[in-house]
Amino acid sequence: MTPDPETLMAYADGELDDIAAARVARAIAADPALARQVEAHRALRTRLADGFAPVAAEAVPDRFAALLVRSTNVVSMEERRRARRSWWPITGAIAASLVVGVMTGQMLGRGAAVIDGQAVPVAGGALARALDTQLASAQDGAAVRMIASFRDTGGDYCRVFAAPAASGIACRQDDGWVVRRTAGGAAAQSGAYRQAGSGDAEMLAAAQDMMAGEPLDAAGEVAARSAGWR
Amino acid sequence: MDLVPRLRRFARSLTRDSADADDLCQSAIERALVARAQYQPGTRLDSWMYRIMRNLWIDTARARTRAGQTFVAEEAGLSVGDAGDRVVEARVELTNVARAMDRLPPEQREAVALVLVEGLAYKEAADVLEIPMGTLTSRLVRGREALMRHLGEAA
Repeated sequence: MTPDPETLMAYADGELDDIAAARVARAIAADPALARQVEAHRALRTRLADGFAPVAAEAVPDRFAALLVRSTNVVSMEERRRARRSWWPITGAIAASLVVGVMTGQMLGRGAAVIDGQAVPVAGGALARALDTQLASAQDGAAVRMIASFRDTGGDYCRVFAAPAASGIACRQDDGWVVRRTAGGAAAQSGAYRQAGSGDAEMLAAAQDMMAGEPLDAAGEVAARSAGWR
Repeated sequence: MDLVPRLRRFARSLTRDSADADDLCQSAIERALVARAQYQPGTRLDSWMYRIMRNLWIDTARARTRAGQTFVAEEAGLSVGDAGDRVVEARVELTNVARAMDRLPPEQREAVALVLVEGLAYKEAADVLEIPMGTLTSRLVRGREALMRHLGEAA
């Protein structure tokens, strides 16, 4: 029996059930030409997968980070108004997945030039207040914006923030919000409200690195705040 | 989940030009965010996003007819960063496979992209494309045979 081209291809891709696969395997054993075709199918799959792999490994361009951070904020404002609408959690899941995707891409594109471990400043003043109280979903016009909140691998709550002068990540510990990472305030743009940009993306990438599981959704943030971020 | 890199890869396997691919990817994300109410929880988010992107791509490709057949200069973005030999080789290979994909009819290209590049199972790919399994496998076979010929020539 000679398998048809579709069946041979499905065999090469591991798509056949056991019985059909055994039948094809017998045919292949009897015919080196079929074996070569299976090899060719597998080689092509590898070649295409490897060929396009660099695209997925590239740093995701900032336009996507900006798009998603912006859309997350837009979504969040809607959420505030329509907190009872049933589709909100789905929206949150979509936005979170996409944002995490951006983070991963950014992470691959950057070196290890983070300030982790060099100094551990504790947030004070307005920053500490914003970290304590502000939700990523409700912060129109705030000087310090919260971009994302998550638990790190040690179980501490951490928040990604963006201020006119700098972006950073702060984690709640016994003595307060310890600023774990910062990125310079190069994005302070002539007094204009700071746009989501590469600084934020860099912090989101760092956050992805520190994160255990998914970022908190709006409800998770509220719960964490109620518990004093502990 | 890290969808964006995969979405960009899918876009790139459909559209050879990297700027067009990122435009497609951005439009798909925007449309997904607008149409988010239609997403059914419990179903695969990646399949849903692939379907949105594929439908957008079909629309765009139709609108453009064959005007986009002009030869595209090598992408400016490719020269970014320190281009070691390995990186250059990877880029050349990407150009080769992308060019071969570009020669496929759209219905074969999308089948190949979903199964061979994105790694979807036949059933998942057929669901994304909303076609029967038999249609998927026949397009896939024809697409692969054509690719083997094109890439064989290029080698």
